[in-house]
Amino acid sequence: MTKRLLSAATALALIFAIAACGSSSSDSSGSSSGPLVGAGSTLVAPLMSKWQSDYASKTEETVTYGAIGSGGGIDQITSRSVDFGASDAPLTPEQFEEADGVEQIPWALSGTVPAYNVSGAPSNLKLSGEVLAGIYLGDITQWDDPAIAKLNPGASLPSTKITPVYRSDGSGDTYAFTNYLSTISPEFKSKVGTSTTVKFPTGVGAEKNDGVAAAISQTDGAIGYVGLAYALSNELSMPLVENSAGNFPEPGVESVEAAADAVSKIGPNNEISLADLPASAKDAYPISTYTYVIVPLESDKADALKKFITYAIGPGQEYGPDLDFAPLPKQVIAAGKKAIAKIGS
Amino acid sequence: MEAGALSNPVLRARRNLKDRIGDPLLQGLSGLAAAIAVVVILGIAYEVTQEAWPAISKFGIGFLTTNDWNPVTERYGAAPFIYGTVVTSAIALLFAAPLSIAISIYLTELAPSRVRRPVATLVDMLAAIPSVILGLWGILVLGPFMHDTIEPALKGVLGFLPIFSGDPSAFGYLTAALILTIMTTPIITSVVREVFETVPGDLKEGAYALGATRWEMIRQVVLPYSRAGIVGATILGLGRAIGEAIAVAQVIGGATGINISLFHTGSTMAAQIAAQFQGAPGALQKPSLAYLGLILLVFAVIVNITARLIVQRGTLKDTDVTPTEAEAL
Repeated sequence: MTKRLLSAATALALIFAIAACGSSSSDSSGSSSGPLVGAGSTLVAPLMSKWQSDYASKTEETVTYGAIGSGGGIDQITSRSVDFGASDAPLTPEQFEEADGVEQIPWALSGTVPAYNVSGAPSNLKLSGEVLAGIYLGDITQWDDPAIAKLNPGASLPSTKITPVYRSDGSGDTYAFTNYLSTISPEFKSKVGTSTTVKFPTGVGAEKNDGVAAAISQTDGAIGYVGLAYALSNELSMPLVENSAGNFPEPGVESVEAAADAVSKIGPNNEISLADLPASAKDAYPISTYTYVIVPLESDKADALKKFITYAIGPGQEYGPDLDFAPLPKQVIAAGKKAIAKIGS
Repeated sequence: MEAGALSNPVLRARRNLKDRIGDPLLQGLSGLAAAIAVVVILGIAYEVTQEAWPAISKFGIGFLTTNDWNPVTERYGAAPFIYGTVVTSAIALLFAAPLSIAISIYLTELAPSRVRRPVATLVDMLAAIPSVILGLWGILVLGPFMHDTIEPALKGVLGFLPIFSGDPSAFGYLTAALILTIMTTPIITSVVREVFETVPGDLKEGAYALGATRWEMIRQVVLPYSRAGIVGATILGLGRAIGEAIAVAQVIGGATGINISLFHTGSTMAAQIAAQFQGAPGALQKPSLAYLGLILLVFAVIVNITARLIVQRGTLKDTDVTPTEAEAL
């Protein structure tokens, strides 16, 4: 009897596990009243929770947010099961078409930073984009590689094997990191490419920022990449990455802001890439990234959405620096306001 | 007697309404419940197939043997994940089955009765550990232990075997297999224990009366009598192992290729679905993950049917044999 029950239970559990993955939610968003519901990027989540409480105290309107990852945010807004989605990677043209009638607005500015754990290596090790690409392509395999030694003259480097760690789930950090490496290295671009999940030829995959941080901390010789706010608040040891000017800026709000100020080109869908910085941006952090909110042009909650996003890119920005987000540059706020005006009209 | 009384028309007419609609109602409700289960299973199979259709029509059956998973070039195949699933589950069972049999022998035949209950409860409680916690333990404790101690030792002694070649790693097939061992052991143990308890006392006492030692009794009575049950239990454990997603995703390292070394990172079907389904960017990535889900579903069905067949056949054979044996004793 127990055997039967157990096998039935096992079968059911398996089936439900698959079902949970297999069926995409297609229910439409709720009524025009009630809280705004959003989902997506984990990078923006700390800032979002500050916004939620502040916005609720100022307007008595609630916003709920599920930090399920950028890809998840895009899915959910495409199926309209949330009122807004959030993504660190701008939508691709195909995704735009599929999402059918959405507006994409940059609403926070941060960075993706490498973090490493190498016993015997100096802190604030200097690395370049070429070296990072080499590590993730499997060409640079030891910490005392000549390419690393050249960037760190005089430093004693152990011969520890390098273990690159990457995100195995879809992630805006992977997008920002691979976008940067593809800009720097044509070889990386052709062999790996840019996406929220890519196929790295070498290394260890881990889930979410915490998984990557745990994998780094448990493996001597590991290097990985996480969100800037996550790395700073968890005090991970971060290498300094060379920018286009040949400097090694400290990762932080100031250097990310400097990167954003150096780029004025805004794409037709408000997408802005900070991977290819001009050499004149001396203090710019090279792996900076915008994160976006994606809203439907038509919805029952258009007015509430406009109000919340106007708050987020306006007064909401002042909470950024405390949480390691850089404030949006003026021209980006202006573009955002123009986009907000299109919602619901 | 009862049946006779009910078939009497006079008595039946006297029964009140509640009693008369009771039976049809019970039949209707329970039938409906059974129908829901069938509909749910068929509906899920249909939904997964439909979701997977773009990948099925693009890659066809070659999906099963393609050793690639690249969202940038949109080329997907199931081979790395089928391989990972088979390897991790097989190793897990290799450890879990003997362990479970030993635990069951101890609990049913050897342990003093005041020890049995607490130990049995603790073993069952292993199954109650949420898999995400076990995965976290895998990352923080088991992984580093594998990397620092177990894998270098294996490499030192058996390094000439390709499966123990390469650099030790905290994440990989072997770590995932050990996590699965911990997950499947309580399931196998609870079934095997129950099977052992059904071994007739007469047979055991008969063996003792013939001068058998405890070990001889276990080897010649308990184990042969329970053979089918043990195999069935192991296959149930296999069902658990191939379906586990979260804990495996946490410790296997998410690499999308086939690697002979057990120290190397890899992935399983369930882990890949868990890690990437939410927010798969490529147009074909989500259908390909659903295709993986379909393969996993077929695996699960085959495993469960096999387990049932073995257990059923074994039980029949045993009942055929038992009475004569019992009489002989």
